[in-house]
Amino acid sequence: MATSAKPIIEVRGLTKRFGSAVTALDHCDLSIFPGEVVVIVGPSGSGKSTLLRSLNLLETPTEGQVIFEGVDLAGKDVDINRHRQRMGMVFQHFNLFPHMTVLKNLTLAPMTVKGVSQQQAEATARELLKTVGLQDRENAYPIQLSGGQKQRIAIVRALCMQPDVMLFDEPTSALDPEMVGEVLEVMRGLAARGMTMVVVTHEMGFAREVGTRVLFMDAGRILVDAPPQQFFSHPDNPRLSEFLSKVL
Amino acid sequence: MTPLMLAAGLFDFSFLPRYSSYFIKGVQYTLILSAAAVVLAIVPALLLALMRLSKSRVLRFIAGAYISVFRSTPMLVQLSIVYFGLFSVIILPSYMLFGFIDISMFIPGVVALALNSAAYVAEIFRAGILAVDQGQTEAARSLGLTQGQTMKLIVLPQAVKNILPTLANELVTMIKESSICGTLMGIQELMWGAKTVATTTHIIMAPYLVAAVIYFCINFPATKAIEALERRMRRGDVR
Repeated sequence: MATSAKPIIEVRGLTKRFGSAVTALDHCDLSIFPGEVVVIVGPSGSGKSTLLRSLNLLETPTEGQVIFEGVDLAGKDVDINRHRQRMGMVFQHFNLFPHMTVLKNLTLAPMTVKGVSQQQAEATARELLKTVGLQDRENAYPIQLSGGQKQRIAIVRALCMQPDVMLFDEPTSALDPEMVGEVLEVMRGLAARGMTMVVVTHEMGFAREVGTRVLFMDAGRILVDAPPQQFFSHPDNPRLSEFLSKVL
Repeated sequence: MTPLMLAAGLFDFSFLPRYSSYFIKGVQYTLILSAAAVVLAIVPALLLALMRLSKSRVLRFIAGAYISVFRSTPMLVQLSIVYFGLFSVIILPSYMLFGFIDISMFIPGVVALALNSAAYVAEIFRAGILAVDQGQTEAARSLGLTQGQTMKLIVLPQAVKNILPTLANELVTMIKESSICGTLMGIQELMWGAKTVATTTHIIMAPYLVAAVIYFCINFPATKAIEALERRMRRGDVR
């Protein structure tokens, strides 16, 4: 791995508590380097989504730091909106804007946030739509699309901002089984083109084949952080062995 | 007065041809008054709703206090305070709008109704905004939109769908509630028209019955139409 490169995201002592009773994240440390595909797995409630959502501060850390491209995002004078522009995010439930056409969904943020011209934004959007095979749906509304199509559009929406990192929060969990493949295919393509990705998923096949590192989380802690080969073939953590025996 | 006389008064509509203008003008006045009050309430209500949803404790408190006060006191009391208090200090010229709306009465009436309505409409807006899926906000914020841009471009356009039917209901409420303006201040709306006809003709009940029928003929179909609208909008409500 690129040991000489500086991490694009660095998480230090990240802790998230909800009230006084629930600790969702318990002193997590993590460095993500450019070009890596970090896949986070673990039982539900283990904190993997909270960790991912902390990376772009959709969850505000209780303690600790999230350093993105050298800036501590939880710092006081940080304009979080500026940094979020460079971190794309894809959600389990797509969260497309239902009152806008596909094209408008794609051009809204580039035009509003970055001040890109409509012509330029639409050109970029159409280009990217082509890469996911949905160039003929630009005038459709989200309600007219299948789940798989919606999620591919959601990925393109994030890509239209030309981010440095893509965060995926269980991108295939809400899909009908026959649509999982088309979304994973798009994600594979992204990884192949060198996009830095952090993916929370239950798709072990994707973790094994596409991941450069796989993390296992349980009870708010990162228990295992290993390359996929080692992660799946020689799980040396008893909790991980138990987890894998259930899901594989 | 014997029950027989009352019964006779109930069915004596002989006043109608001569006094119909009281009801026609009255209904126009009522509709203008209520619509103006609700429209005037929209902007302050939106501000109150956004204040209640804001992170600032002070803003939340101010909006919460306003809403609580106006929802927990009778409209008649509010109207009295505004009309006899506030507008005894602010003197308005007696100017006739459309030939039958006296500005010096109309404005205090509208302001009082709007102040009251703003409290209720604010809650309608707040509920409508909260009903928009949180994921919409997260998606917009993750793309780098500011909180204000997210509210304006993503949340409010979707909230309108939740808000419109309830806002129309508020108009129905106003059409009914505005009748106290006639009683208290002598604003010449429908209820005032009925009362004036009753006192002039000494026909006790029938004029009020006519007023009731008119109120019903406006509000009942309106309520049904709103229900139908709500059902249609809910059908399109899929993510």
